[in-house]
Amino acid sequence: MQKNNNQEQSKLRAFFSSDTFKGMLPFIGLVVIVVVMNILTQGKILTPKRLRLLLSQVYYPMIVATGVFFVMTLGSIDFTEGSTLGLASIVISKLSFVSIPLAIAGGILTGAAIGAVNGFFHVKFKLQSFIITICTMYLFRGVCAYLTTETAIPASTEIKALDLNWLKISITIAVLLVAWFLFRFTRVGNDVKAVGSGETAARFSGVRTDRVKFFAFVAAGALTGLAAFVNVVKVGSITATAGSQLETQILIALVLGGLPITGGAKVRFSNIIVGTLMYTVLNNGLVMLGYETQTQQLIKGIIFLVFVALTIDRKALKVIK
Amino acid sequence: MSNKPLLVAEGIDKRFGITHAVKKVSLTIDAGEIRGLIGENGSGKSTFSQMLCGIYTIGGGSFTLDGEALHPHNQVEANNAGVAIIVQEMGTLSGLTVAENIFLGHEEPFMHFGIKNTGAMNREAQRLLDEYGFGHIKASDMIDRYNFEDRKLVEIVKGTYMKPKILVIDETTTALSQHGRKELYKIMDAIRADGRTVIFISHDLGEVIEHTDSISVLRDGEFVGTYRTADVTEDELKRLMVGREIGSAYYRADYGEKVSDEVVLTVDNVSVPGEISNISFQLHKGEILGFGGLSECGMHEVGKAIFAASWDRTGTVTLADGTAIDSIPTAIRNSIAYASKDRDNESVILNESIRNNIVLPSIEDLASHRLLNNRKLTAFADKNAKDMQTKMASVHQFVSELSGGNKQKVVLARWLGKGSDILVLDSPTRGIDIGVKQAIYALMDDLRKQGKSIIMISEEIPELLGMADRIIVMKDGAISGEFLRDPGLSEEDLIAKMV
Repeated sequence: MQKNNNQEQSKLRAFFSSDTFKGMLPFIGLVVIVVVMNILTQGKILTPKRLRLLLSQVYYPMIVATGVFFVMTLGSIDFTEGSTLGLASIVISKLSFVSIPLAIAGGILTGAAIGAVNGFFHVKFKLQSFIITICTMYLFRGVCAYLTTETAIPASTEIKALDLNWLKISITIAVLLVAWFLFRFTRVGNDVKAVGSGETAARFSGVRTDRVKFFAFVAAGALTGLAAFVNVVKVGSITATAGSQLETQILIALVLGGLPITGGAKVRFSNIIVGTLMYTVLNNGLVMLGYETQTQQLIKGIIFLVFVALTIDRKALKVIK
Repeated sequence: MSNKPLLVAEGIDKRFGITHAVKKVSLTIDAGEIRGLIGENGSGKSTFSQMLCGIYTIGGGSFTLDGEALHPHNQVEANNAGVAIIVQEMGTLSGLTVAENIFLGHEEPFMHFGIKNTGAMNREAQRLLDEYGFGHIKASDMIDRYNFEDRKLVEIVKGTYMKPKILVIDETTTALSQHGRKELYKIMDAIRADGRTVIFISHDLGEVIEHTDSISVLRDGEFVGTYRTADVTEDELKRLMVGREIGSAYYRADYGEKVSDEVVLTVDNVSVPGEISNISFQLHKGEILGFGGLSECGMHEVGKAIFAASWDRTGTVTLADGTAIDSIPTAIRNSIAYASKDRDNESVILNESIRNNIVLPSIEDLASHRLLNNRKLTAFADKNAKDMQTKMASVHQFVSELSGGNKQKVVLARWLGKGSDILVLDSPTRGIDIGVKQAIYALMDDLRKQGKSIIMISEEIPELLGMADRIIVMKDGAISGEFLRDPGLSEEDLIAKMV
């Protein structure tokens, strides 16, 4: 009897430490957070009006998270999304008085250029992404602050007229589909995962590791540039704080979504979607519950910590590249 | 030799998840003997000894040392109880001095009110090093200044200076040159003469037979038996380890077969700063070209240089049609394959599935219009892994879960799948058990007959003599001798050129 109990216990323990369970954890987490928030807010979070608001906050983090997903799959990290979004938003606003397509292209190019700077230093000088992107984050945040000191930068009324739900949904879905396709059906996905799991062995198997890493940073930058467009149509004018702390929000969202901080083979595309939804629901719920900003941060911090501790793959643990 | 049991193991057991690594092993070891512990990879010999030394916790059963129960929770506890180990991998810590490494976890004698007396520690460490005859190592130097072999010698001092009752030597000799091995054997003999005990783990059965008093055999985690060394032969031991008869045809049998004159690869004046200088040679179609030497002679770098994986290479590597090999992707595209000595870092991606490891270089060949078909990739990996008889649950299993021999099979499956014609195999059978070793030799012989060319870099002289059509010996980064396949060629002939 005793023995049976022990066996069942050890089976249970094996299940809880298995990859299947770790893979399910984000989905369970999403359901739990929605249910808990729904109870705490007495059902207010699941009203159509609230849901529409929730959705409107999902688009641009999800687009950004899709780009960062590739960087984090490498086992790298990118801290520049916030300042990239700010700078790209400024470029879009200015260009929106000339032509809308030009503004969009300008935003994407600005982001891609910042990604290229990060990628270049990471690949050519073999600097850790962690260090470089912290440096460039301050650099571009500085540029943003300089450009917006006088006054906020307004966008044209034409671009503000594009604040349409169907457009934003289409852009987000298109981004997800293209990224999913690249990740699943081309060698890009295989290559980024291989670099994340073991860079040297990947290089010795013919993966052009430098090119792959450069691509990931450019993709993260370009998608953040595109997200800046979605941001501009929504907010209309750009202040110095545009995109502030976006990088940590994305990091938290992806980790909540189950993306291992070490990157590599155990990464799932669903991490992006589940993670961003979870983060947005959590964020909204905390606001609706009327917590002060400080308390909100405290709660988010604790949840983040618990999730990292539960999901991290200790076998693959190493310094983030 | 006294017959008092020093160590009694009863029902020792260990599981790692679903893997039952050690299955209720019971054995006794006497004081004053050298006990060989042998078994194939995955037979549980390392796990068993690492439980004894506190590296793994004991999963079940008990150890009794000198009449007292032994249940170490870490290495320091085991050391204090009188058990020490010299491990297979690098067991010294970078960033510390030689002396700090030797006294790691045992700094108390040099501490006064929490302050370490570095001078006294260095003097004591230097005294030990001199006493062991390793005077060329300086106690106050950073350990990083020394090569793998010297670091192993430091580990030997670390493991034995406090005169443990039992010293476990786990697969250490593969990292040592002839000289280092002789030093180690001397230390083993001294421990026995002192009435203490050595547990000696090695894949090299010749070495085990020569230096032990008795031998215990494990197979698939189970204890097979203990045999007096004087009563068993190498072939009997092989049979006990594998559980079936191992044929006598271990290496290829032919001598005097003519190698084709057709040159497939020309290496001209290749240098890598600090590693190799002005290496030139040609590789022929269907030839097995062996490279031998001491582990630091530069031969491992030659393999990397051919594959264009060296960071800073000068000179040229060209194919018969004049194509210059100057990057890894060019090498792979032009049918060159490379299996590194550092299998876990440079050959396999540990935290990746077998499938993705195998398809990596072939991914473009398998794609149609640059699109991947997952079913096709899986089928490709499955076929090649099965051709190599890889022991696996499925191709989706992670490589980190495989034994050394099976990892090497995954590496070979990757390159055979790619259809490479020139295979650069660095230490292809390093740390691999007999069964798989035999399979790899047979495969190399097959490949040779199919007209593929192989460069085999190896620290094991018998393997070079047994398999290569031609052997190039290196010393200090340069070629020091060349020998053609000949039954009369002896180990001594090669060693003379190596040192």
